[in-house]
Amino acid sequence: MMDFKFARRVWGICYKDIKVYYMKGPIVLMGVIFPLFLWIAFYAGRGFGVREGIPSLLIMTLFFTSSSVTPVIPPWETRQKTLEMLLTRPVTITTVLAGDMAASTLFGLIFSIPPVVIGMLMGAFPNNPAYLVGMILLTSLGFSAMGMIFSALPTDIPADVILLANTIKLPLIFVSGVLIPLDKMPSWAMPIALVSPLTYPADFFKWLYFGGYFDMGLDASITVIMVLILMLVAVKLHRRTIFSRLQR
Amino acid sequence: MNAIEARELKKSFNGVAAVNGVSFSVREGEVFGFLGPNGAGKTTTIRMLVGLLKPDGGKAFIMGYDVIKNPIEARELIGVVPEESNPYPDLSAWDNLRLVGMLYALPGKEIRERGMSLLKLLGIEEVKDRKVRGFSKGMKQKLLIAMALIGGPRVLFLDEPTSGLDVFSVRKIHELISELSREGVTVFLTTHNVEEAGAICDRVAIIDKGRIVAMGSPDELKIKTGGYLYLSVVFDREVGGDVKEILGDYEFKLGGRKLLVVCKEPGEVIGRIVDYARAKGLKIERVRTSEPSMAEVFMRIVGAK
Repeated sequence: MMDFKFARRVWGICYKDIKVYYMKGPIVLMGVIFPLFLWIAFYAGRGFGVREGIPSLLIMTLFFTSSSVTPVIPPWETRQKTLEMLLTRPVTITTVLAGDMAASTLFGLIFSIPPVVIGMLMGAFPNNPAYLVGMILLTSLGFSAMGMIFSALPTDIPADVILLANTIKLPLIFVSGVLIPLDKMPSWAMPIALVSPLTYPADFFKWLYFGGYFDMGLDASITVIMVLILMLVAVKLHRRTIFSRLQR
Repeated sequence: MNAIEARELKKSFNGVAAVNGVSFSVREGEVFGFLGPNGAGKTTTIRMLVGLLKPDGGKAFIMGYDVIKNPIEARELIGVVPEESNPYPDLSAWDNLRLVGMLYALPGKEIRERGMSLLKLLGIEEVKDRKVRGFSKGMKQKLLIAMALIGGPRVLFLDEPTSGLDVFSVRKIHELISELSREGVTVFLTTHNVEEAGAICDRVAIIDKGRIVAMGSPDELKIKTGGYLYLSVVFDREVGGDVKEILGDYEFKLGGRKLLVVCKEPGEVIGRIVDYARAKGLKIERVRTSEPSMAEVFMRIVGAK
């Protein structure tokens, strides 16, 4: 009974997020255009094949869609005074975060379809479609949780959180083996790559298309652990800051 | 069992006590008014009662559930119209109502039935598919009340529910509060409108500077503040300032032909005034006694502290 109630509440918040935040033209365009242009800027004219390019496009699309809206929701809703309205209902901050993450994960899943389909149309097929879907789901969830971590900053100014998120997110793209392969990465960047939440799913996707750097099983295991850590940290931080957020 | 119980609630912001040891209990089915001047601690108290703020000290219970230890169980039993909250402006009224219904984990059929009847009851069913962004303050407030009621609460918290509304909306909300109370719903009402509280509340508590300074039924509070009456006398012509000599220590106000005296025993004062009028050759045109309004009671209680 409790599980049904939790699921219903999570779906309520997820549905609200989809209607309020995700079904907006600029958000949809951002999810497609930004990763595509960044990818073209790096790959165009450098002699890479489609198989080498699709995993990078896929991980960037997931990164820029799944972690793009979640940082903004709590500060925006604090400012709009809708978060207070939500939290006077029978929900905890964990339920609200679960709903926000569910919507964001769904958003990432949907936007991962074009890169995969484009790749297939150009002859790049993943060698295990089930692994691909599983890793897309897991990665999308992890990046959603990462976005939620940024939003734990107890502010009602979305720009503050966006600034913090971009300061961390953009450099991560360059030190996680996404655009620059891990074997060509400068030695100083490797320690960062090893703790980056992008490195292992990106490497896993590469295995599915042409070949990666680490062991595939290791990539999957570390991704699962990182997703769990990101979710746990998001919940802990929000629990800690929720009351000071509501005092604003 | 009490519907609401506050035990020694305390909350400070930046070292300044907003609520300083507030205790009270509200019985099931009671309409309880919580009054106080601006910054007295009303909203902070209500936010602690519904679990939006963690108290620095003390405890709050809703139908026996500790709001911090058992927040879900407590919130399943309450409906809240917070003063500082909004429905989602980019959602329609219906989507807002549906969202809250889902947060109470109601099945879809129940949300549709209850939602429609609430929208009808509050007179906003015709705008149910319109985005809230274009709603007037009154429409938004009615929607927030519908959202607070969709879960079928046993305790309803209303923080300034009629602030800024027209008289028709205010009357509708008062009628709704009375009806809910008859159905056994406990209503906790904070308001600036002291007369409103006096008219619809079974009991009121007055908070000032973070402490409860008076509590009881509106009639009890009138007695507690001295049980005084207003004696109003109108003469046929202007009265001189020498009337002060016959009134002694009584509090009075003189304005042209009118004299207003605050007293406990009007008979004795009337005798003095009649003697005065005779001596001065004045004719008394009208004499009237009245009870103090709730606003006057409030001013006396808060002003005296």
